[in-house]
Amino acid sequence: MSFNGIEGNINRPGEIPWEIVVVYFALALLFVFAVGKKSGGLRKFSTVDLIYIGIGAAFAVVWEFYIGSFLGRFFPSTPFISVSFWGRLIIVLVVAALVRKVGVGMLSLLIFNVLGDLFHYGFGGEPMFTIYETLTYGLFVDLVIAATGGKLFGIGIKGGKLFGSFNLMSRKEADDEDIQGKTPSIVYLLAAVEGAVIGLLWAIPDPIFYRAFFSPFTYGGYVDWGRVIFDLIAYIPGDIVIGIIAALISIRIAKAVGS
Amino acid sequence: MVPWNFLYENPLSQNIISWVIFFYGVALPILLILWIIGLKGFMEITKYEKGKGFLYKMNPITKLMLSVVLMGVAAVTVWWIGAILTLGIILLYLTMNDGVRKFLYISLLTFTSIIGGMWSVAPFTPEATLELVFPDPAKYTTIWVWPSYFLFMGYEPQLTLQALIYGIQISFRITAVLSAALLLVLTTTTSDIFRMFTKLKIPQAMTFSVLVGVRTVPRIFSLLDTSVKMQFMRGLGYGKSRILYPVYYLYAGIVAIVPTIVYLFRGAKTLAISADTRGFRAYPGRTEMKTLGFCKYDYVAFGVMFLLIILAVLANVYGFGRTIPYVGY
Repeated sequence: MSFNGIEGNINRPGEIPWEIVVVYFALALLFVFAVGKKSGGLRKFSTVDLIYIGIGAAFAVVWEFYIGSFLGRFFPSTPFISVSFWGRLIIVLVVAALVRKVGVGMLSLLIFNVLGDLFHYGFGGEPMFTIYETLTYGLFVDLVIAATGGKLFGIGIKGGKLFGSFNLMSRKEADDEDIQGKTPSIVYLLAAVEGAVIGLLWAIPDPIFYRAFFSPFTYGGYVDWGRVIFDLIAYIPGDIVIGIIAALISIRIAKAVGS
Repeated sequence: MVPWNFLYENPLSQNIISWVIFFYGVALPILLILWIIGLKGFMEITKYEKGKGFLYKMNPITKLMLSVVLMGVAAVTVWWIGAILTLGIILLYLTMNDGVRKFLYISLLTFTSIIGGMWSVAPFTPEATLELVFPDPAKYTTIWVWPSYFLFMGYEPQLTLQALIYGIQISFRITAVLSAALLLVLTTTTSDIFRMFTKLKIPQAMTFSVLVGVRTVPRIFSLLDTSVKMQFMRGLGYGKSRILYPVYYLYAGIVAIVPTIVYLFRGAKTLAISADTRGFRAYPGRTEMKTLGFCKYDYVAFGVMFLLIILAVLANVYGFGRTIPYVGY
């Protein structure tokens, strides 16, 4: 018998050992609790942050299940191109750029999953899929926010100072930013690098965690490692390019929204 | 042997046609169907409207439980039970406000899921798995033979009719859930969904975000539709041939995305101020004017759920359980 559609197979041919998966998610949970304890958990998100997250998740649902899956038909159906998934990447990064607090990635993915269940999946396979997506895709975004000290994509860097002392731009560029609201090119470069890192990280969970563990764990079957490796390699270039584009879009939207 | 076997026996036509199938799969039929539904259709199929049918009177928790039970039953029983459940759920849409139209939309959406699901499974199903469903490989009808290097992408050497049938069988396990999921959203007010999440002890902050999302989904379709129409009113595609209209429509839709995002995010501040001035999150819990109760329809639904579980057990006992594994997605 299965639980909510999850069979719980742990010995399918080629499946990643469950111990490795448990260790990863246990460590991820520890990180969540450590951050939550340090920063005050959900209380640190203001009402407007929660609304940004809700709207972002709604957009991701509309994109992933309706518009993106429709537009995707115009493109070749190959692992190199994933219009639905890329839309989610862009939207989550826009929300992350607007909120810029550690935890926004995970909360966004959590809300996206609940909305996805309400509109599409009907809570089948839950809570496993929500935990998986929140602690992989969401966590990766939060790690980058933590690494940038809450100045994701260079948004919120004032006077060209990164981490308080490191001079990111010349005095003139800093003045231009203050007086004319002009974003210096070094900020765009920094944003592109951060976007690329997130894009690269987002290419990993689906082939490795989903195809090589959660899919056989849930439904049975076996793991075709040829396809896992092919998918991983095929996802990386597109996800990196879209990560960079998402970072640049985020800067513009954050400006337009006035965040 | 199929009449077009000469096409895959000739390496040139085999390569060209294989790549066309690889790139476009079942794209065209799905495209046509989604075109018929349109942005307005998606808005209607994701938005709550007042209604008098029994689904509107049921407790949201009952509807949530029903979709979870349906999911469980479809997952552990033979494919045609999933197909019957799907049909049953789709028929429930007729009891809704403007039911025939909603029935038509959900039927079309379900059909796209069936052929989409079939195509994501069929080319990747190995013969060893197929033999569990169709025991005699000698009777398989080969529809297409892929070039040998397609194996690198996880494709099986041949696409058989049996693999397509297997793909359709697999997709029926998903369609029951897909059609049940929208029942809750279409027949429950946002306030009732809030009460449901409160009852389920979900933190207020998360519930709030989810509900902002629930309200925003149909609004996105509506805003995109308005933005597309505005672009046509401003003269997009004026004087051009009608044949190009779908291309302009698509272009207008893509161009509309960023303004829609900015418009919605700008509105977020107003919504935040209005929630904060009403004391949102001032206290850990909320006071309730109305509590969620159960009516006779809920008890009928509990009975149906109980019967479904019995059905799943009996199906497994009598050999109609799920004997074939999922592969692919």
